[in-house]
Amino acid sequence: MRYHQPVEAASSADLFASYQRIPGAYDEIVGPDDRVRGDLGTMLEPLVRMDPDQLAHRADLAALSLINQGVTFSVYSDSAGSEKVFPFCPVPRMLRHDAWARLERGLVQRLRALELFLDDVYGAQTFLTNPRIDPGMVLESSAYMAKLHGIKPAGGVRVHVGGIDLIRGADGGFAVLEDNLRCPSGVSYVLQNRVVSKRVFPEMFRRARVRRVDTYPARLAAALTAVAPCAEEDCCSVVLTPGSYNSAYFEHTFLARTMGIELVEASDLLVDDDRVYARTTAGPQRVHSIYRRTDETFLDPEVFRPDSLLGVPGIIRAYAAGNVVLANAPGNGIADDKGIYPLVPEIIRHFLGEEPLLAQVPTYMCARQDDRAYVLEHLHELVVKLVDGAGGYGMLMGPQSTADERDQFRARILAEPRRYIAQPLVELSTTPTWIPEKHRLEPRRVDLRPYVITSPDGPWVLRGGLTRTALVEGSYVVNSSQGGGSKDTWVLEERS
Amino acid sequence: MLISRVADHCFWFGRYLERAEATARSLGSTREALMGADLEERQSWLPIVIAGGEQERFEEHFVRADPNVVHDGERVQEYMVWDDRNPSSLRASIAAVRANARSIRDHLSLEVWSQINELHWWIERPLAGGGATGPVPHGRSDCARQVWLDDRHAFYAHIAESSALTAGLLRTTMLRDGPFDFIILGTMIERASQTARVLDVQHHALELSRAHVIVDTALWLALLRACAGYEPFMRRHRGRVSGTAVAAFLIQDPRFPRSIGFALQSAQGRLEAIRANDRRTEGPEPAGGSSQQRLATLGAWLDARSPQQLAGSSIHDVLTHVVDEVHTIASQIGVELLGYAPPPAPGDAHHQTQG
Repeated sequence: MRYHQPVEAASSADLFASYQRIPGAYDEIVGPDDRVRGDLGTMLEPLVRMDPDQLAHRADLAALSLINQGVTFSVYSDSAGSEKVFPFCPVPRMLRHDAWARLERGLVQRLRALELFLDDVYGAQTFLTNPRIDPGMVLESSAYMAKLHGIKPAGGVRVHVGGIDLIRGADGGFAVLEDNLRCPSGVSYVLQNRVVSKRVFPEMFRRARVRRVDTYPARLAAALTAVAPCAEEDCCSVVLTPGSYNSAYFEHTFLARTMGIELVEASDLLVDDDRVYARTTAGPQRVHSIYRRTDETFLDPEVFRPDSLLGVPGIIRAYAAGNVVLANAPGNGIADDKGIYPLVPEIIRHFLGEEPLLAQVPTYMCARQDDRAYVLEHLHELVVKLVDGAGGYGMLMGPQSTADERDQFRARILAEPRRYIAQPLVELSTTPTWIPEKHRLEPRRVDLRPYVITSPDGPWVLRGGLTRTALVEGSYVVNSSQGGGSKDTWVLEERS
Repeated sequence: MLISRVADHCFWFGRYLERAEATARSLGSTREALMGADLEERQSWLPIVIAGGEQERFEEHFVRADPNVVHDGERVQEYMVWDDRNPSSLRASIAAVRANARSIRDHLSLEVWSQINELHWWIERPLAGGGATGPVPHGRSDCARQVWLDDRHAFYAHIAESSALTAGLLRTTMLRDGPFDFIILGTMIERASQTARVLDVQHHALELSRAHVIVDTALWLALLRACAGYEPFMRRHRGRVSGTAVAAFLIQDPRFPRSIGFALQSAQGRLEAIRANDRRTEGPEPAGGSSQQRLATLGAWLDARSPQQLAGSSIHDVLTHVVDEVHTIASQIGVELLGYAPPPAPGDAHHQTQG
């Protein structure tokens, strides 16, 4: 049964009556004519008919449901153990099936290529003989872990879970902003936001015919088992967390719970004879596959940071011996480094012999002399990023910067050019977002992080993703650590 | 497979959950009992502080400055519920329940976790004007401190209800395996200890005051209410209240779920279930037997107490033995199953006794 109904004078409704698009940015729901975009109108009708009080009530319901379920994260700058709810906007973000299908093909292609690139970097290194590539970009990067060279992971997969950050420019076209191939987080919010939006917008949800996201945990569990060095029925997988003070602890518990496997801390594991065991009430028990959410430099004090209390001594030996799966494989950072990002189209051509399906943001590499000169001339219109920075820290937003800040960055770039890249400021797309303080909808910029699980059969893309919103008016930074919020992302089914 | 650390958090989750409920019930029932005539504030409030193991700290902070403070029910309640200096305060217990629950989040059902989380935020939410910590729940007062000021009965009742709901949800939504067994084990160990302590200090207060029969009865009834045992007791004894009967009921009755005997029996059942999954070869038997054997011995010993032994001053010896023995058993469970280091051998120069 379908719920198609005619759109009734959508633009006259209260919630959207005072909605002002941001000039120059692509709004995903309200078109250039200031009306709700074509076919979205049908689905959005329950929302369009709502008055601000009704939406405020639903936003409260959503927030309450999140806090009572303990869907919280910790912020590093706050005092230890303080928890916050990741702000959630109940107005969903919608993606049409055709746009999504194109994205999905592009993501699969990208992940296949990056997987091959990693195997090559930690193996034969054929890519580095490519005349268009400066091998130093890879071998001298802090993200390349020479100690891991020559290790072939059990099951052959390195990027078990990838999170690719996408943005939409002024024309509405998608482009990759960055790859996350180490420990991409946030998928629990995708699933949790879905639970909440079904509760607060049941009618709209039913009308929209949204693709499911709750198959993710089973997919991940299967991917962990498929690569384990043992028979499927004997496989013991665990989630490894740094502990309950970690900012993503909620997600770690969520994944363990929904996959039905144990959540362990480093001190719960031990290595004996290059095999990993868990300390249980019934004595040590063998572990085959570890979805590790501990940063790789903390994984094994024998190999990386000797001061790490979060590590398991010997776990890298067990990994190198092929006796345990570490998902994701350590060393993946070399493929999602911002210094490598500009090379990904070349990586796709080299390893797959295909043209890239996903666009990228044009990127200037300060290590290259021409690029550097351009960057230094145009700091006021560029976004400058540290190649190994994350979370929106250590970046310069040129158009919003002061002369002082620009001078500081100029000096830093000149001192360590290889650590910096620069990109033009992309007018991120906007979507109507509930602003509680103003009691109305306003456009806010968003990005999208789809999740890709890779098993020996190849990559699989979750039909949904984390939409992060910059809640501060005028902001381009969507990171949760910088006051960002999230929305449920509805990938719509193809309509017949 | 059950990680030892997880089992430990389960065990303490159960203990704190039970402790929070016991504290709320004691305070609430004492307060109600005092509304009637005849009872002195002194003999009613101090036992709660003592049973909570807080006599020393309470005296240090309050009694030294003002000896009359032990009559002041408000001060005692404030201390036992909110005071940051009191590690056994109701608020601290609820925070500990939630902290342990958070560490075993992947083993708890969503229903159990939400219930605990809701209670925690209710307690922690500051009074209006103190800055909101989160959105306001609909249809219920959103701030425990406000309810505390406006309607004390509702405050204690809400905590008791919330604990009961959690206990019920544990039984109706949790898988019957290791984590459940350890939670119930912790709950029952704590319950045996709590009932023994409350009974002991109450009895002691009665002995001291040598009160007349009406007061005596009123106190026993308050004690029964604190253990949610008023109606069950009346049904078993057809309304005839005597100190000995109440004591025997709370210590021995195998059909009353808050009696010491019942709690020990349940704890033993959980330990058996846990041991059944344990494929390790047993190490050397500790002196006095394993925790499981000790529990069985204690239960049998308690069963064999005669009515005379549960009256007068000898009840104190019985209850002291229970409290000490339960403490030893809990430590042994830690060593046997939860990965604690064994206690130092007797005679060790660094041996420390626990209070």
